[in-house]
Amino acid sequence: MTVSNDRPMQAEPTESALRNALRRREAPEGFADRVWARVAEPDSRKPIGTRRESWLRIFAVPLARWAAAAAVCVALVVGGIYYRNVQRERAQGEAAKQQLILALRIAGSKLQVAKSKIHQINANRVATDQSESHEEKE
Amino acid sequence: MAELISAEQFPAAAEGDFAGIVRRYQAMVYSIALHFLADPSASEEVAQDVFLQLHANLSRLKSEEHVKFWLRKVTSHRCIDWQRRRRPQAVSLEDAPDPPALNRAEDPWLSRRLRQLVASLPEKPRLIVILRYQEDMDAEDIAEVLAMPIATVKSHLQRSLAMLRAKAARAIGEVTI
Repeated sequence: MTVSNDRPMQAEPTESALRNALRRREAPEGFADRVWARVAEPDSRKPIGTRRESWLRIFAVPLARWAAAAAVCVALVVGGIYYRNVQRERAQGEAAKQQLILALRIAGSKLQVAKSKIHQINANRVATDQSESHEEKE
Repeated sequence: MAELISAEQFPAAAEGDFAGIVRRYQAMVYSIALHFLADPSASEEVAQDVFLQLHANLSRLKSEEHVKFWLRKVTSHRCIDWQRRRRPQAVSLEDAPDPPALNRAEDPWLSRRLRQLVASLPEKPRLIVILRYQEDMDAEDIAEVLAMPIATVKSHLQRSLAMLRAKAARAIGEVTI
């Protein structure tokens, strides 16, 4: 290996150079004592960043997983039954509404017929009265 | 300790010898974190967290070898977690930034330069290089620790070495390897 500028490189990124560069370093002074202090202090045992996911650890227990799965199944079944009932009630309400509209239409048409008959009777009566009065005058 | 006791007895013995375990493996754990994160205070915090997690999981461990494997694995994952919290975006091997040009007068040691170059690699290749050359692990063991195929480890290793040579050539000068 050569280097362009005057100073020769003693090594290159070969395996031995990498081994030398990445050799183990001693941990800082008092490292073990600080670990012990954290072990002895319950609040600091939990590493930072794992606190948020701690509640999920409950699912590590098989019974909890089965219970959660059963709860989801029950919720799905109950939800399905509730949804079906709501749909059925809605359909019944819609049918009753259609029946009511039909009944109102029939009643309306009957009223129209009765009204036109009354008008016809009244018109006939007026015509009869007028002809009778003409005859009396004559 | 581990050679003389059974897997069932190991957790209790390890609990009693936890200080000894910390002493035996503190350099390994701290060095993996330091070479990965290139930050002494962050590395100490990660290393402390790893040993706290070890203390909480001693009952699951079966032997001294298992402890060593577990420590390497958890340290690797914690380093990646730390890195992602600090710098969320991932970079590909090719897109990894070059380290700043190295000043020969201020930094005469090749080892230091190589550590800088290693620290500039993307996270997975960096971990693989650290486990290969710091811990002298073979590709199979690295694959087990990092839960990835052996072929992927070998590929990362080859590409990382090529990348390190290229980066060294650019950072140091015209290096012929």
